[in-house]
Amino acid sequence: MRQIWNWLRRHDLEDSLDRELQYHLDRRVSDLMGTGVPEAEARRQARLELGGLTLVREEVRDVWFTRWLRDFAADFRLTGRSFLRGPSFSAVIVLSLALGIGATTAIYSLVDQVILRALPIRQPERLVLIDWQGDQVASGFGTWNLMSYPICRDLQLQDQFFDGVLCRAAANVNLSTGGESRPAAVEIVSGTYFSTLGIRPALGRVLSPEDDQTPEASPVVVLAYDFWKAQFSGAPDVVGRKILINRHPMTVVGVAARAFHGVDVGQTPVLWVPASMSSQAIPGFQDMLDRRTRWMQILGHLREGITPEKAQAGLQPWFKSMLEEDSRRAGFPRIGAARRRRYFESTLTLKPAPQGHSALRRALSEPLWVLLAATALLLCLACLNVAGLFLARGLAREREIGTRLALGASRGRIARQLLADAILYSLAGGLLGVALSPFAMRSLIAFLPQDVAATSLQSTLDARLLLFAFVVSVVSGLASGLAPALTAGRESLVTSLRARGTLTFGAMRLRKVMVTGQIAFSLLLLIGAMLFARTLAGLLAKGPGFATTSLVAFSLDTSRNGYSPADGSRLMHRIQDEITASAMCQASGMTRFPLLTGGSWNNGMTIQAGQRITTDREVNMNAVTPEFFSALGIPVLAGRNFDQRDSRPSGDDSYRTAMVNETFVKRYLAGQNPIGAHVGFGTGPDAKTSIEVVGVVADSSYRDLREESEQAFFPYFQTNVGSGTFYVKVRSTPEAAFQSIRAIVQRADPSLPILSYRTMTEQIGRSLKSERMLAALSEAFGALALLLSLVGLYGVMSFMVTERTREIGIRMALGATGASTVWLVLRDALVMVAVGWAIALPCVHWLGRLVESQLFGVTATDFTTIAQATLLLASAAIGAAFIPAYRAASANPIDALRLD
Amino acid sequence: MPPPRFPIPQGTLDMLILQILSLEPAHGYGIAQRLEQISRSVVQVNQGSLYPALHRLEQKGWLRSSWKESETGRDAKFYSLTPGGRKQLAVEKDSWARLAGAVRLIFEEGDGV
Repeated sequence: MRQIWNWLRRHDLEDSLDRELQYHLDRRVSDLMGTGVPEAEARRQARLELGGLTLVREEVRDVWFTRWLRDFAADFRLTGRSFLRGPSFSAVIVLSLALGIGATTAIYSLVDQVILRALPIRQPERLVLIDWQGDQVASGFGTWNLMSYPICRDLQLQDQFFDGVLCRAAANVNLSTGGESRPAAVEIVSGTYFSTLGIRPALGRVLSPEDDQTPEASPVVVLAYDFWKAQFSGAPDVVGRKILINRHPMTVVGVAARAFHGVDVGQTPVLWVPASMSSQAIPGFQDMLDRRTRWMQILGHLREGITPEKAQAGLQPWFKSMLEEDSRRAGFPRIGAARRRRYFESTLTLKPAPQGHSALRRALSEPLWVLLAATALLLCLACLNVAGLFLARGLAREREIGTRLALGASRGRIARQLLADAILYSLAGGLLGVALSPFAMRSLIAFLPQDVAATSLQSTLDARLLLFAFVVSVVSGLASGLAPALTAGRESLVTSLRARGTLTFGAMRLRKVMVTGQIAFSLLLLIGAMLFARTLAGLLAKGPGFATTSLVAFSLDTSRNGYSPADGSRLMHRIQDEITASAMCQASGMTRFPLLTGGSWNNGMTIQAGQRITTDREVNMNAVTPEFFSALGIPVLAGRNFDQRDSRPSGDDSYRTAMVNETFVKRYLAGQNPIGAHVGFGTGPDAKTSIEVVGVVADSSYRDLREESEQAFFPYFQTNVGSGTFYVKVRSTPEAAFQSIRAIVQRADPSLPILSYRTMTEQIGRSLKSERMLAALSEAFGALALLLSLVGLYGVMSFMVTERTREIGIRMALGATGASTVWLVLRDALVMVAVGWAIALPCVHWLGRLVESQLFGVTATDFTTIAQATLLLASAAIGAAFIPAYRAASANPIDALRLD
Repeated sequence: MPPPRFPIPQGTLDMLILQILSLEPAHGYGIAQRLEQISRSVVQVNQGSLYPALHRLEQKGWLRSSWKESETGRDAKFYSLTPGGRKQLAVEKDSWARLAGAVRLIFEEGDGV
């Protein structure tokens, strides 16, 4: 450490030393002259006594910097010079390292942003996610880790453990800041949200506990900084302005601190609404104070010195008594004994959540880790390649190194020089890689749905990322320089000075080992690429179970525009009729919940068909109009479609009829006539089975393409629901259809926004985002890996052929055929491929576990895939080895013998 | 002809420097002169090895240095002992005494035969 400090101020030190020595000389000269020595003689003698100024300086410098550091600096200078002398060699090395380091850095940046990075809040390490393990006996909506709002208030009183507890829910609203209203993401939060996280306002004030005391009493919002800049151009007088959320006027009271984007990476809110205004933000929602409605995530900020385990244990007594108290409350549902037991066995868990809570993280973390592992493999491969190149250059430098050894350099000194070489090259590679990584990140982010990526993920470099790239560069420099450094100068001085460029046996064997390693790595990456490609192809081939050509979808939510359910429902049906009647429409249907978005309405069911059974897992449900099945081309296999018979008088909200899909019949009604069976919601003993199954439809995808689930459909048109998704089979292009659909919706209500207008092909693409990302990237990595290892193989084979030119010449002179000569060379290549294969296979088995959950229709150890990848690699390897082999075989034996 | 001088034993230069500086701070040339005087021209100190030794001791934290006006009026780099250096001197003196004692013991025993 001290040496490096000295190095940084070396000019000052040198200066001071010069002055010090000069003083000594001058004093000595004047003393000697005082004793009668003439000046010239006195100067000579003074210098002599010191033993040579240069030597003294050198020795003092050794004290300052240590030998090691000084030599290293010299090594770097030497490398810099050789760098410029062999530009093509340097370019190949720097490029392969840049590819590896750039790809790793880019993937790491996403891993960092989505998985690792702590929120920009006070002491993020003390933030915990509070979660209910067990049965809450509650209904709810939202993503994961949900609880009710009153529990959050209870937890706020547990201040011996927490210095703040917040709850939050993500929501989408129609937002108008003056002009027309547009969909916007907001976060509904408790009044304690900002104080718990320690977020200060950039302007005005943030929300406080007073803002969520009484429901509907505090119509205020806090804007996100970026939204304030973009939408209000950063106007300083924004505080006090009115905006409309779902047509309810709200007052802006402040802007949050710049760096803060909410607690959910992947859903960046434009503003924060207090929980007291949840019935405005979520139309029709009245259950904020209901203890049996779970819809919010609860996060706590632990007190100093309290561990999550300690708080978790300490909270249990309160939690148990709350369970007891709740079960006696009015409105607690009547439940069966089994469920009651599950309820009372519930516990509260605390998990560290310095990164907040994110659905995106849940969806992406596995694919991202897989990709990071793949880039790590690619980087290893690039390092091996570079190590191979260094070894090859070692051949050219053998004489130089021999000369240096002869002049008295130690082997360690030369090894260090080669290591410095490797590190400098890899730092250059790292620099280029870092320069390229923003482009790589941008193309990575492009695989993610735009609305998520655009707001939450950045493709910029920061200090953490630079540090990561630096460490990776140095490590890969050490890795690629180690083998050449260790072998340098191992041969005796005499051989290396005499021999004219024969690659020594040891170095050759080392290169073979490296190429074998490369083959193993690239086989792994190839198998991975093929697995993911087959997964994607398999999902696309399976399809959603309905024709997606010229099918477009869009959603409307009239409740956000202030419609009552009855009025909204009427409006929806009028729009549906108009679309069906329009010229561009071939067929059109409506559903309560959208398809292929990852979510669904689901519930357990009870079935009465001969005997009473309950479903052993949740059934996915949807409400649809009769035209839905024909518009999507889903055939009705038995019974009938919904029709006018299923309509109900208004005010009666109960379903009387249902349709189920094939999978449902197979699982629960096998061997029976499903038509006429009765079903009901819930699995308890008191569940009523008053709904008659009138038809069976073919299977189709609901949540995503992978899933094959039991589904039940209910008639949509009888219920009073003011929101839904339209599926329209269009005759024209989707763009032209959008114009007419927008015209129809605007005629119905000019302020009603059309939400997520997409073609179904696009929607399928979105639902396959992680599969597409994995397939495309692993294919790119696989191709790169193959290329790198083939270059390595070709290099080694060419060297070996050059080495063995004489031997081959003799063999041919003695009558060996061209074919046997080719075989002689190819055999070596095949051995390397075979050994690489043998190394890779156990790794496939081991790495398979990491990717298994990302696959579809194929296992990680799928025989065909491994066989195909092996075949591809082996034939490419033989191709690469054949060129030098052919050259060897076609050489004239006389020339070969005469050489050297 | 001056009496023949023998070279200073390995490792004792540091101890001598510390000893000289324990009396008062001095600059490099002053230390060289003091060495000459103390050893009464019996011990030969290579002046060239004085400066690396001074910098090494400073690096180890046993000396500190500052530029001050010297007796001739010119600025010179003065070295002085740090508390750590004082401790080190005591340690070295002690081990030197033990070594010298041990050597003497061996010689006396040899003479007795």
